[in-house]
Amino acid sequence: MKITSIRYLVGEGFKNLWVNRLMSIASIGVLMACMVIIGLATLITENVNKAIGNLEQQNVVIAYMKDYNWALLEAEIPTSEEGREGADENGILQSDYVIHSEDEAKALCDKISGIANVAEVEFITSEEGLKTVQQTLNIEDADSQKLLGGENPISCSAKIRMTDMSLFDKTVEEISKLDGIYNVQSHSDLASTITAIKNGVGVAGVWIIAILMVIALVIVSNTIRVTMYNRKLEISIMKAVGATDTFVRIPFVVEGVAIGAISALLAEGILYFCYRVATEAIINTLNTTDIVKYGDMAWILLVMFLGIGLVAGIFGSVIMINKYLRKEGSEFAAI
Amino acid sequence: MEHQIVPSENIKPQKPIIEFRGVSKTYQTGTHALEDVNIKINPGEFVFVVGSSGAGKSTFMKLIMREEKANTGKITVNGFNLTTMKRKHVPLLRRTMGIVFQDFRLIPTMNVFDNVAFAMYVVGASGRDIRREVSKALSKVGLGHKARSMPAQLSGGEQQRVGLARALVNSPDLIIADEPTGNVDPNMSYEIVSMLTEINKLGTTVLMVTHDHNLVRDFNHRVIMLDGGRIVADNAAGGEA
Repeated sequence: MKITSIRYLVGEGFKNLWVNRLMSIASIGVLMACMVIIGLATLITENVNKAIGNLEQQNVVIAYMKDYNWALLEAEIPTSEEGREGADENGILQSDYVIHSEDEAKALCDKISGIANVAEVEFITSEEGLKTVQQTLNIEDADSQKLLGGENPISCSAKIRMTDMSLFDKTVEEISKLDGIYNVQSHSDLASTITAIKNGVGVAGVWIIAILMVIALVIVSNTIRVTMYNRKLEISIMKAVGATDTFVRIPFVVEGVAIGAISALLAEGILYFCYRVATEAIINTLNTTDIVKYGDMAWILLVMFLGIGLVAGIFGSVIMINKYLRKEGSEFAAI
Repeated sequence: MEHQIVPSENIKPQKPIIEFRGVSKTYQTGTHALEDVNIKINPGEFVFVVGSSGAGKSTFMKLIMREEKANTGKITVNGFNLTTMKRKHVPLLRRTMGIVFQDFRLIPTMNVFDNVAFAMYVVGASGRDIRREVSKALSKVGLGHKARSMPAQLSGGEQQRVGLARALVNSPDLIIADEPTGNVDPNMSYEIVSMLTEINKLGTTVLMVTHDHNLVRDFNHRVIMLDGGRIVADNAAGGEA
């Protein structure tokens, strides 16, 4: 197609936009409203995900190891003297427990790191573990010493963070199966709640976007249908003088795309303003700053809006035009 | 107004510009519009197509413009085989013909110049060619001075002349005029057919549907008469039956 034709057709598209300005304004208004709702759904989803992400960070599991302390308190040690030569003063043999040294404990941590979905593993010595218990129970070191008779009953452990909470149970099971682990302390119910919220928000978001996309398509199609109706004489002449389908189609596509793009830009501006007002109110009321910044999402939203606008504009116009392009001469008068 | 019978000198023994061979057309409603039509129109001819309402004139024209497809038979127009032609090639066929409509079909929001130029934009002509050819076509129909007028400011005859300029602007080999005098007064009717005759003398084939027997008689071109979907008369130019 020649540049003269392209210039002419693009010009015709914008001319249509102006000639049908009432319909264009209505379409831009409704399409923009759809985009603002889609944008709000996205921002809410992002904020929920951020909050959940914080919860996920706090939801760690502790895998306790079969070390000497474990053997002392938990392992079933045979009481008979038979075959227990070389046992220490507590009657414990080296073979009664699995983790004999810090190096072996760290090697086990490495094994845990190798499991899929394990994001981070931190080795906790039995001394550190005891301190954590003391802090949790809010007791002094001296009191603890008195209470435990100078012994430390806490086994060394691995503090584990996961990548995907929906695979929580499976990952815990895999960790439990490792040789040297005797207990994995976890909050499975919290993990499943987090996963359920995350999935719920995700599914709702997808549905909202899908429904609004369909609405957007219908809106643009209707505008194009009105334009088509207004220009049926022109289209019939175009076809009579030998215009190709593409030639007839382009002004309508330009019109659809322009409606989509204008709606996208306006939606971005309105959403920015609304979100700023809303977040300022939330920050002042809840005294929290843990909210997704609009600046972090601005480009994603703009690209998304332009995508929706262009898809709705192109498909909306193409669907409608193809219906009309099959008509010939006098059939236009019957439309 | 008297007109001399002047058979076109451009008629040479060559392939027909329009040929119907055993063409029949039945609409989905069951109406038999055309039955076993056989006709040849040579390049450079001026042909009137006459007949009463429902005779099949419109279907005959629609088949030539490929607005409709024949159920049986073979149609050739300007070297295109319309029977086997794909839909995407229809615009190429239509670019070889100029069409004049009874109701003018001018775009009311465009001035005279743009209404004519429109046909050239469609075929991708350059801005310079459009300016030159549109001016030429408007001068040919005597409307060079009304290029900036809007269709509503013109009389019926002037509007039809704009339609004629639009049909001419791409220098087609064939002009199809579907009752071009149906909405204009008798004087203007003569003027329009005179213009078409002048265009025909320059070598363009003209096919014109009309109800006006006076025009047919006065201009004495070849006449094809349709009745009940069949050709009932076909006299060559000069009065031969």
